[in-house]
Amino acid sequence: MKLHSKTIFGLFVLMALMLPLAASGNKFFAFVLGMTFISLLWATGMNLMYGYVGLMPLMFAGVAGVAGYAMVHFTRTLGWSFWLAMPVASLLAAAVGVALGLPSLRLKGFYFTLCSLVIQTVLTLAFIFFPTYTNGDTGINQVAPPDWFGGELTGLGMDMMLAVVAVAGVLFCAWLVKTPLGQRFVAIREDDVLAEGLGIQVVRCKIIAFFIVSLYAGIGGCFYAAYVGFISPRAYDVLVSMNIWLFVAFGGRATIAGPIIGTAILAPIPFLLQDLQAFKDILSGVLIIVVTLMMPGGIYGAYVAWRSRQAHVASDGDKVQEQRV
Amino acid sequence: MTDAQLLILLSTLSTGLILGAIFSLVAAGVTIVYGCVWLPNASNGQFFLLASLVAWTFTASLGWSSWLAAIAVIVLGIGLSYLLEWILIRRLYDTPNRNVAYFVVTLGMTQIMTGIFSLTYAKWSDQFSLPPVVDGISMLGPFPLSNNRLLVMVVSLFVLVALFALLRYHPYGRALRAVFQNREAAALRGVDVRSIYRLSFVLGSTIIFLGGILFALAYSFDLTVAWTMSITAFAIMIIGGPGSVIGALVVGMTFGFTQAIVSIFASPTAATFSYLGAMLVILLFRPSGLFKR
Amino acid sequence: MKLLDVNGLSKSFGGVAALRQVEGHSVVGETLGMIGPNGSGKTTFVNIVSGHVRPDMGSLTFDGIDIAGKNPHQLAAIGLCRTYQAVRVFSSLSTQQNIDNARLLLSHRGLDQAELSELLDWLKLDHVLGKSAGSLTLFEQRRLELLMRLVLKPKLIMLDEPVGGLAVTEVIEMIQLLKQLKARCSIFVIEHTMRVIKELADRVMVLIAGEKVADGPPLDILKNKRVVDEYLGAQHA
Repeated sequence: MKLHSKTIFGLFVLMALMLPLAASGNKFFAFVLGMTFISLLWATGMNLMYGYVGLMPLMFAGVAGVAGYAMVHFTRTLGWSFWLAMPVASLLAAAVGVALGLPSLRLKGFYFTLCSLVIQTVLTLAFIFFPTYTNGDTGINQVAPPDWFGGELTGLGMDMMLAVVAVAGVLFCAWLVKTPLGQRFVAIREDDVLAEGLGIQVVRCKIIAFFIVSLYAGIGGCFYAAYVGFISPRAYDVLVSMNIWLFVAFGGRATIAGPIIGTAILAPIPFLLQDLQAFKDILSGVLIIVVTLMMPGGIYGAYVAWRSRQAHVASDGDKVQEQRV
Repeated sequence: MTDAQLLILLSTLSTGLILGAIFSLVAAGVTIVYGCVWLPNASNGQFFLLASLVAWTFTASLGWSSWLAAIAVIVLGIGLSYLLEWILIRRLYDTPNRNVAYFVVTLGMTQIMTGIFSLTYAKWSDQFSLPPVVDGISMLGPFPLSNNRLLVMVVSLFVLVALFALLRYHPYGRALRAVFQNREAAALRGVDVRSIYRLSFVLGSTIIFLGGILFALAYSFDLTVAWTMSITAFAIMIIGGPGSVIGALVVGMTFGFTQAIVSIFASPTAATFSYLGAMLVILLFRPSGLFKR
Repeated sequence: MKLLDVNGLSKSFGGVAALRQVEGHSVVGETLGMIGPNGSGKTTFVNIVSGHVRPDMGSLTFDGIDIAGKNPHQLAAIGLCRTYQAVRVFSSLSTQQNIDNARLLLSHRGLDQAELSELLDWLKLDHVLGKSAGSLTLFEQRRLELLMRLVLKPKLIMLDEPVGGLAVTEVIEMIQLLKQLKARCSIFVIEHTMRVIKELADRVMVLIAGEKVADGPPLDILKNKRVVDEYLGAQHA
């Protein structure tokens, strides 16, 4: 597997960039593809925190919302270009993410998850009940697509851009987890007390993780707003956080392929179903339970486990042959 | 004090007592299950609502009396709890750090139930209420209190006291507390830990169902009570101290009165905001809560 | 030259005094031991020195640096580390990954491959590098703990009940290893029996009910009337 990883990555990048071309004939499929790319970016960020650092940040969608609403404000009210508004809004969201995460740094496991859920709820309520920037529950429509050399970035061009951003996000994450910082994340996930005893600066690493993960959330939140053209508190609520988590858990946490697989399979479903929100909620809920109780490693995890069992079978065969000789 | 002021005072007091008792009951149910099984039930508000809605179905569609409906719901609720324990809950008894997994599972359950309610009850009515168990009004000075609400108040407080007595004096209660304190030690002393887990899950869930019925008897309700109750119950549990029934009682009563007072001059959302804020403060500064187990 | 220097260390938990004015020190090259029954405050002492718990009162210096209130990672950076009573390794990760995690602190300033190979050879862990740390035997895990601490190039390793859970033959082997360890690094051994301490320690501190009741070479401790009466008498063979 290791020998081919550059090839696999290359294939993935190629495929990702080709898909928009393949879908460009059909507006509906192109839209689903675009939403899947945004979801992939989000899932990669969620995986960094959940899979590699071991914390479940349910306020992920809320942070994305901070960036989305900020971006809309910057472009609409201040007249900025999307390409200035998006980075600034994302950095703002990252600052918010760190600020909100900071007090909960000492919390672990369930308490951290509960705290993040409370923060997400507060953010959603803030989006609803402080309508000055957000227009409350009504939402903001007619959000303009990103500006592009005098025109607008829509259609195939936008889908290609989303593909590029998603791929960049995945590649960055793949690089990051191999660095010493990535190793520190894993050590913290496995046993943060031991990690600290070995000299790893746990608090500092968590803050860095919060910042990077919030950037993923924020950039996705900005592109979401510019792509869909309409945002509301519902677009950034706890159900969205849970769904993104589900993409990661279903696909296989703490792997690079996992979020890709999970997003590719699950993200299109709500659009293809086209049904009531209620059915999607039920399906989502069932998947959450199934994944938690029966699929701890997700699809990719199950695949890896299956392959290592195959490897053991093969090596047992070799042993028998040795004895015969 | 004028009659009007006395009226407001007594009204607030009675609302505070009823809400406080119901909050305490639900929070006690949640905290027992968390303290014993390590299961934080994020869907407790959905359980609460489920009981109310099914009771409504019995009274509205089948024409049963509220009394009969309440008993039927409790019986069904106990059955449902056993079923859930058998299918889902017991799978994680031996998992380390299962409180996160349980939390996620119950979040999934929340989504499922919300979806089901949207497809069913949301289409049938906006507001729901149960016909009173007893009729008539008692006068507390100038303040008219419906006998029905009085009954709810009395029953809630009685159940709270009974729960407390159960945990303190009955052998099952003592076994429950032994497992709360230290599972390994309890197992060594011959306590069948898994059946205690099962018992406390059923007990805790049934208390929540009971809370739902009592609430439905006292007030009319809509589907949003599920979400509000979940937040309130968790806030009470965290602030009171996870696993502490006393904490659930004290903080629950406090929240009940807070809600009663706040409703006089602000929307209930303000109260919810304050619960969230208080929970956050405790989580960040004193995660073990105000009371010990 | 004093390495660890503790004075007037006190700590209470909810009104109950766990440590009362405890004083002690260790010297470079000398093996310090600490014994005491359960509840004597040993664990609290170790937790305070290793940065997990803050003392109520007292001074705490290491290698001349004031360490009261420092976090465990800061202590690791100045050369003070510990192992735990219940063995603690990254169970889901491989032995190699465990060692790599320990190497993160010093990175390129740490041990080179030759030094690492020597350690792996000495601790007999070179054949289990690919196995998950959780699948190792308890003795292998204890040795891995030692290896991970040595990778930090520490000045003092605190060993909290290093032979806990080991079989009788493994205990003998471990004591040998620890004797060899003394040549590489100063150690501070915390135990609740004299069996291990008397073979390793140059000097022993005895804690009973949060107070230090004796401090001296093992042979003196074994003859100390109060210590024998209040503590060792019951278990002394």
